[in-house]
Amino acid sequence: MSAKRKSWQTILLYVFVVILCVLILYPYLVMFITALKDKKEMYAIDHILPEVWRWSNFSDIWTAAPVFKYLANSMIIAGGATLLAILCGIPAAYALARMRFKGKGIFMGAVIMSQMFSPVVLLVGIYRMMVNIDLNDTILGLILLNAAFNQAFAIWLLRGTFMGISPEMEQAAKIDGCGTVRALIKVLLPMAAPGIITTLIFVFINAWNEYTIALTLISTDVFKPITVGINVFYGFNFIQWQYLFATSLFATIPVVVLFLAIEKHLVAGLTSGGVKG
Amino acid sequence: MKKKTLTAFQPYVWLLPSVVLMVSMILIPIISVFKISFSDVGRSGLVKGLNGVQNYLEVFEEPVFWHTLQNTIIWTVVVVGVSTVFGFVLAMVLNQEFRGRKFVRAVVIFPWATALIIQSVIWKYIINADYGSLNVLLKKIGLIDGFVNWTQTAGSMFAWECWVGIFVTFPFVTFCVLSGLQSIDGSLYESASVDGASFWQKLFKITLPLVAPSLTVSTVLNIIYVFNSFPIVWTISKGAPADQTHTLVTYLYKLSFTDGKGGHAAAVSVIGFVILAFCASIYMILSLRGEEES
Amino acid sequence: MKKKLISVLLCAAMVGTMLAGCGNKESSDGGSSEGGESSGKVALDVIISQYGNYTQDWWTEFEKTFEEANKDIDLNIEIVSWNDIYSVVNTRISSNEQPDILNISGFADYVADDLLMAAEDYVSPELKDNFVPSFWESNDMDGTVWALPILASCRSLFCNVDLLKEAGIENPPATWDEVLTACKAVQDKFGKDIVPWGLDISTDEGQAAFSYYTWNFGGGYTDDNGDWALNSKENVEAVEYIKKLIDSGYCNSAPFTDTRYPLQDAFSAGTLAMMIGPMNMVAADSKVNYVAADLPGEKTALGVCDQLMVFKDEEAGDERTAAITKFFDAFYECETYSNYMVYEGFLPATQDASDNLAANAEKYTVGGSDATGDSEYFKTFCAVLPNCKFYPMQKAEWMDVRNGVIDVEQQVCNGTLGAQEALDKLQESVAK
Repeated sequence: MSAKRKSWQTILLYVFVVILCVLILYPYLVMFITALKDKKEMYAIDHILPEVWRWSNFSDIWTAAPVFKYLANSMIIAGGATLLAILCGIPAAYALARMRFKGKGIFMGAVIMSQMFSPVVLLVGIYRMMVNIDLNDTILGLILLNAAFNQAFAIWLLRGTFMGISPEMEQAAKIDGCGTVRALIKVLLPMAAPGIITTLIFVFINAWNEYTIALTLISTDVFKPITVGINVFYGFNFIQWQYLFATSLFATIPVVVLFLAIEKHLVAGLTSGGVKG
Repeated sequence: MKKKTLTAFQPYVWLLPSVVLMVSMILIPIISVFKISFSDVGRSGLVKGLNGVQNYLEVFEEPVFWHTLQNTIIWTVVVVGVSTVFGFVLAMVLNQEFRGRKFVRAVVIFPWATALIIQSVIWKYIINADYGSLNVLLKKIGLIDGFVNWTQTAGSMFAWECWVGIFVTFPFVTFCVLSGLQSIDGSLYESASVDGASFWQKLFKITLPLVAPSLTVSTVLNIIYVFNSFPIVWTISKGAPADQTHTLVTYLYKLSFTDGKGGHAAAVSVIGFVILAFCASIYMILSLRGEEES
Repeated sequence: MKKKLISVLLCAAMVGTMLAGCGNKESSDGGSSEGGESSGKVALDVIISQYGNYTQDWWTEFEKTFEEANKDIDLNIEIVSWNDIYSVVNTRISSNEQPDILNISGFADYVADDLLMAAEDYVSPELKDNFVPSFWESNDMDGTVWALPILASCRSLFCNVDLLKEAGIENPPATWDEVLTACKAVQDKFGKDIVPWGLDISTDEGQAAFSYYTWNFGGGYTDDNGDWALNSKENVEAVEYIKKLIDSGYCNSAPFTDTRYPLQDAFSAGTLAMMIGPMNMVAADSKVNYVAADLPGEKTALGVCDQLMVFKDEEAGDERTAAITKFFDAFYECETYSNYMVYEGFLPATQDASDNLAANAEKYTVGGSDATGDSEYFKTFCAVLPNCKFYPMQKAEWMDVRNGVIDVEQQVCNGTLGAQEALDKLQESVAK
């Protein structure tokens, strides 16, 4: 249908798109250029590009702070939280999509309500509870929290996905002798793949980018995720912008790559979740 | 064949893992925040016992609280509103076939995929009036003579914060709407065109109703996330000047951790919860009714 | 295709959880401090503020050395940045998880909630005698000393000599009027390229600015009786002067949010002509030709002295107190302590270390570099310290006043309120 588009429309479209891309990429460009500057040039205001391109900043950060460890922690926290959120979310979403039972409406309401409190608001409560169950300052504690705070979205999206898939196939599988669980795994889950992937990504991103809980909960340096770890470049007497931004780029890249890898599925997944959400 | 009682219990068994996770990790802290909001909390953070609604009364007496509440509403409405409209338009654009579409879609992912704390720090660096890269850039290309102070007033500071908020929020809307658009059957438009429908008619009669569910999802989630958003305002202004740019979340953080008023902070969080819960219940009532009808 | 992708993702997530399991095991080893007591070890949780980029390294080394020398004590030292330390400590206290030893600035709130041990109860007599008396007394509240001075710094007026010369100013300004003249000269000479005067009235450390200006206009926080006197004539004048600096366009553009750190960096980079800052603020590798002069007006410098304090633990016995005594004796031991002072670039609070550093600072190196200490520097600044004024931290309302004066500065400079009106309001609310 786009074949007969008028040429001025095409031009307008490209102008819009180019401006948009420049605008979006601008902060990242600044980050990249600043990360390559020498510390002394940080406040120089007469040129945009570095006078000396300090590529060594990108290698220095690994020794200036345990950046690799921070990244690995983030990976573990986000990966673990994602897995847990999905494993708990799939059965719950399945029950909500396929079964009739008392209290369904209340449960759905409660799930949404659970999102009303930002973790910042609950900091004190969260910290106390984690101390009580002896999980403060552990990576496991962060995994559990991130999984819990993403439950609502996971359930919501998965339920929508499941509802968008006709139950006939599972029923057929059950008639063939499959139990409910097997029918779920063999038939429904593969069909719900786009929705599941979307959920995975969404939870992963949220957990990867989480900052406030980790800040309060984690005190041991080697357990810090990258979002908290980069604080080491905010010293008492100075901010090392070049390291801060170099590390920030490393913290952003994995997520962007992940996103790009599944972009197609992502869009499809949101559809199935959205339509019946 | 299973017994009937077992079948009746089955749904709850399926819900169990999720319930355990949420109750233990979210409900318990919520209860303790409610309790603290009715408690006398010492400056050091020590909880000294219940004191009724004292914290709430004291919070209501603060002019800053009311200003903050107003800010929070502006912040939520502006950020979610603009993001939704812009995200929608962008989704329409990206739904067309054009060269480089894949690239643009990849680019749009960036703000979504970057940690808010990182976004906030970089924007603070960009808009700094003395050495910020925006001024350097604009001066280099000759758009400005001298450096502009982008955050001279509380209003301009807050506007920048809204800008950053929009910047990180619209991609989610775009992808939600895009997913809705792709599920629309192209033949609907063709038959509408045959009937002589204009662009606007098609937009309002076909597109909007069909992407409405996706838009609802993104709007509801965004309202919650934006309302509760912390790093942007905290990193860029910390509420300065003179507490004029707070939202409820940063205000309660300051109350709790800078001003040593933990009880007031808990009261503010409960107030925020009540506001959001009220909005959400309206949504729930509407959407559950819609579901029953369909 | 989709199936394959899912299985790959699931596998990845599973590997992640397995790794998480390992991470957690590590943590239970590291966090065994609570359980350690059963094995006869005393565990001490210590929170140290992050003074520089290499603070962690120094304390890791200290922990190792200390634990080797004291096999019965398990130190658990945690470095927290200044950005987070108040929220971290506050949250811990609300959860009854306060550390044993805390390094922070300000102790009155903890005393008010009856959380601290009196210093006399754990400081050995030799150590007590070794503290510079004015520092020891600065932590006295209602007749009891509640905390130990960990280190001190004092603030001076830093001037970029070359920039001032080029603008026709020969000497650092000695009065507030001269400051205005110097700012004007710099502005006329360099336009927008150089910021004449650095100002930080952010929530981060706006009380420091309040101190610089009010003290040197002859005012301050308290009157001669030690009662709050925030709305004095001199204070009003001082706050109005701050507003004048901003309104004349002499300051950095965002004094409400700029903390000291970017200002210091800008000064070190040579794009800021004058600012008041701590004596160790100029970066070691800076090429700026500068002097550190007396503050204008009354020449009253602000001394900042952070503290170490010990939290009560009703259940713990005498072994804990004995371990704490050992900890402080080890930390303040002349060699170790001198080493730390040079490492972080601060001034010592004990007499033997002051004497030692005034002569032998070259023996020690600065954190993260090969640069050595400078005896001359310690000699100069240790001599200045006794004349410094400190924040009235021992007054119970201090935190309210601290936040209050920042609010006043911001409201006045923002044009929301007049200086007199804002200070009157603050005085009224504090005196209440």
